[in-house]
Amino acid sequence: MSEIGKVRLRLPASIKPGDVVRVRCLVIHPMERIERDNQGKIIDKKYNYIDKVTVTYRGKTVATFDTTQSVSENPFFAFSVKATDPGKLTVTFHDTHGDTYEGSADIAFS
Amino acid sequence: MAGRGGDRDVTRRSMLGAFGAAGVAAVAGGALGLGGVRAAAAQTLGQNEPLDAALKRVFGGRPMKDGSGMVKLDVPLIAENGSVVPVSVEVSTPMTPQSYVKHIYIVADKNRIPIVTRVALTPDSGQAYMGANIRLGETTDVRAVVEQSDGTLLAVKREVKVTVGGCGG
Repeated sequence: MSEIGKVRLRLPASIKPGDVVRVRCLVIHPMERIERDNQGKIIDKKYNYIDKVTVTYRGKTVATFDTTQSVSENPFFAFSVKATDPGKLTVTFHDTHGDTYEGSADIAFS
Repeated sequence: MAGRGGDRDVTRRSMLGAFGAAGVAAVAGGALGLGGVRAAAAQTLGQNEPLDAALKRVFGGRPMKDGSGMVKLDVPLIAENGSVVPVSVEVSTPMTPQSYVKHIYIVADKNRIPIVTRVALTPDSGQAYMGANIRLGETTDVRAVVEQSDGTLLAVKREVKVTVGGCGG
């Protein structure tokens, strides 16, 4: 569990200016699912799961994911970005316990 | 003169005091309000409710057109493990500042929390595409609902057969 919050980002190996780039990202997170007691009643507690993911490219928000507990453990997300200029791509994950995890990659043209 | 000045002072001070209190109250109210809104937003999206209620709440009964020509929903036919089901959605319409795909929703009909995710996109994405790993509790229809910038809703659905459910609760 010590790896919680580890973010991995994958971009294509070579990017040309103007390409629509598909980025895949993964974060290590338990994404707690709803628990029930013996009577089948939902246990009321603050479940820890990621409820927001924001993608920024050169300081501008490109995409926002609002997620629920129906998303898998160690969630994986994919999205596309139009690579206009070299710059930094950042993906930020927010969970319901107030933690944020961030991963970034540089978009550079070869 | 002095008396008037004193009077004025008192009123000014009391006024300031009143303003100060009001300000503090407003700030506190604002902070509470914001917290409430954020909690509510998280709540509204991922609620434990039947599908009909979820669709009605999120889309407000707006008509959904069949988007099978434009929206490509990629899900496995059979998912052996319901706790990790890869889903991807691709929309063929171009992303221009005038007309673009605003939201992509993934809905799993029989999940206890039917609304799985909502993706907000901008024209900077270049193409309306998203992928995610989701949980499915049992064999169910998975829908992708695409909301375009003019408010049009396009929906497609595919059935996924689930061997082992992944929602536990």
